[in-house]
Amino acid sequence: MTSVRASAAMDRSYKLMLLPASLAVGIFAVAPLVGMFVLSFTDFHLIRGWSGKIGLQNFLRLAGDARFLSSIYVMAALSFFGVVAQVVIGTAIAVGLDRIVKSWRFARGIFVIPFAVPHIAVALIWLSLFTPTLSPITAFFATFGIEVPAMLTSQTGAIAAIVIADTWATTPFVMLIVLAALQGISPDLDEAAAMDGATRIRSFFLITLPLLYPTLLMVALFRFIETLKHFPLIFVMTSGGPGRATQATNYYAYVQTFQSSNVAYGAAIAVFLFIFAGIISFYIARSNARLSDA
Amino acid sequence: MRDQSISFRVKRGIGIAMMLALLAFSLLPILWTLILALRPATHLFEPIWSSPTALTLDNIASIARSDFPRALLNSFITAGASTLLALLLGVPGAFALSKRRFSGKFMASWLLLLLRMAPPVGFVIPLFLFYVQAGLIDTHIGLIFAYTSLTLPFVVWSMWTSFNQIPNELVEAGLMDGASLWQVLRLIVLPAARPGLVAAGVLSFLLAWNDFFFALVITRSSTTTAPVAIMNFVSYASVDWGAIAVAAIALTLPTVPIIIIANKYIVQSLGGAVKG
Repeated sequence: MTSVRASAAMDRSYKLMLLPASLAVGIFAVAPLVGMFVLSFTDFHLIRGWSGKIGLQNFLRLAGDARFLSSIYVMAALSFFGVVAQVVIGTAIAVGLDRIVKSWRFARGIFVIPFAVPHIAVALIWLSLFTPTLSPITAFFATFGIEVPAMLTSQTGAIAAIVIADTWATTPFVMLIVLAALQGISPDLDEAAAMDGATRIRSFFLITLPLLYPTLLMVALFRFIETLKHFPLIFVMTSGGPGRATQATNYYAYVQTFQSSNVAYGAAIAVFLFIFAGIISFYIARSNARLSDA
Repeated sequence: MRDQSISFRVKRGIGIAMMLALLAFSLLPILWTLILALRPATHLFEPIWSSPTALTLDNIASIARSDFPRALLNSFITAGASTLLALLLGVPGAFALSKRRFSGKFMASWLLLLLRMAPPVGFVIPLFLFYVQAGLIDTHIGLIFAYTSLTLPFVVWSMWTSFNQIPNELVEAGLMDGASLWQVLRLIVLPAARPGLVAAGVLSFLLAWNDFFFALVITRSSTTTAPVAIMNFVSYASVDWGAIAVAAIALTLPTVPIIIIANKYIVQSLGGAVKG
């Protein structure tokens, strides 16, 4: 997009418009992150304070910290299964709404509702559904003599529970974006494929899905970065347990900072997470820049 | 016609069954929460189908008597003030980013995305230390500033996207007529970008409204927000499920109509980067 031609006076106005926003972004958002970086090189402790030491000790300690390494493993599991489930189910709903049940006008509104539920409420709703004495799921299956395993007390169960709750809440985000992309794809393409004798399912996999690929990739990246930041679900449903089975890296940074008072160490863990944000935002910004140049 | 064949009908039937199953997955937890909100404590641990008429409004009454309404008010104040601040500071900046010719656009867009994706724990640790020194812990202003670290980058980013869709000719025509750049923004561009402006405001409000983490660290009893206050109904001894369900519904009620009405703009704003 080309810009509007500017005189010197206009340029001054533009700068005046940019100034408050830039200052505010600097003060409110950039400054705390600079603080995070600075802290990560100190040994600041909430009670003991700072001994004056500066160095890489926190990062060296991270490399040998078994709890940190296992937290990455937990984070990877939560992200991988979460993103896959959300993208697959979100795409299925979008394709269903666009191709199978076009007449269900009310359905789109219903599918969006879970996305409106604040995360803390999502966590509490699913905590109730995973509490065996309370859960209607457990009660329902019990009438058939089937015993539903208690999810939150086993390691894999607890991870699955968080993935399910997250998937319930955020699939609509994927659905909305994929639906918008689908509606931008001409139905003529499918019809042409049908003329050539392809079944609808084949034409979906051979034609529609490749056209959706850039959208799906972007949505997956957005969801990936969000799943790295899980907090209310873990805090409410498992507190990182059982044991440390659901202590993902972001939650571990919270525990180190605010429960063990190791502020500097917590900041170093935050820096580690920040690197993911740096890489993914760079990739998205660059592909955006390419799109707007084209 | 192949569209009438049995195999097509079977496949269509499977597709509809899948959609119904997914609809149930979306809707049943919501219905369950509504039921939970209306169940008396005495029947809480019985399945709903064994005593379907045991319903009560006591949970709603007990929430109304608790501190929760005040926490809701705190949420409104802080999310609203932070959104206003972000719009006031961010909209002119986004306009300049969109319409002025300069070379740092890529860096600016990267920075804004990065701020949106950065881990909240990274913002919170230094803010917490600073707030303890500055006496901003458990104050509205402290929480408003903390939320602005979320809402401002979001508002600038999404308004930048909106302003890009306003033709430059519109700006140029205004300038030709002798209007200043500020007048062009206020009288021509903003009215034309109104849907985007409303969406940015509303979604920025939700960003702060939904927050749990910042409020957990920065607030104590007097300015606690609703998402943190809801945890008061959870204790080691017992969990007041009825109250939790009512509070969860109260927390969700303002957001449902917003999301349903604004879902067109979510695609545009939340997925500002997502272009197929």
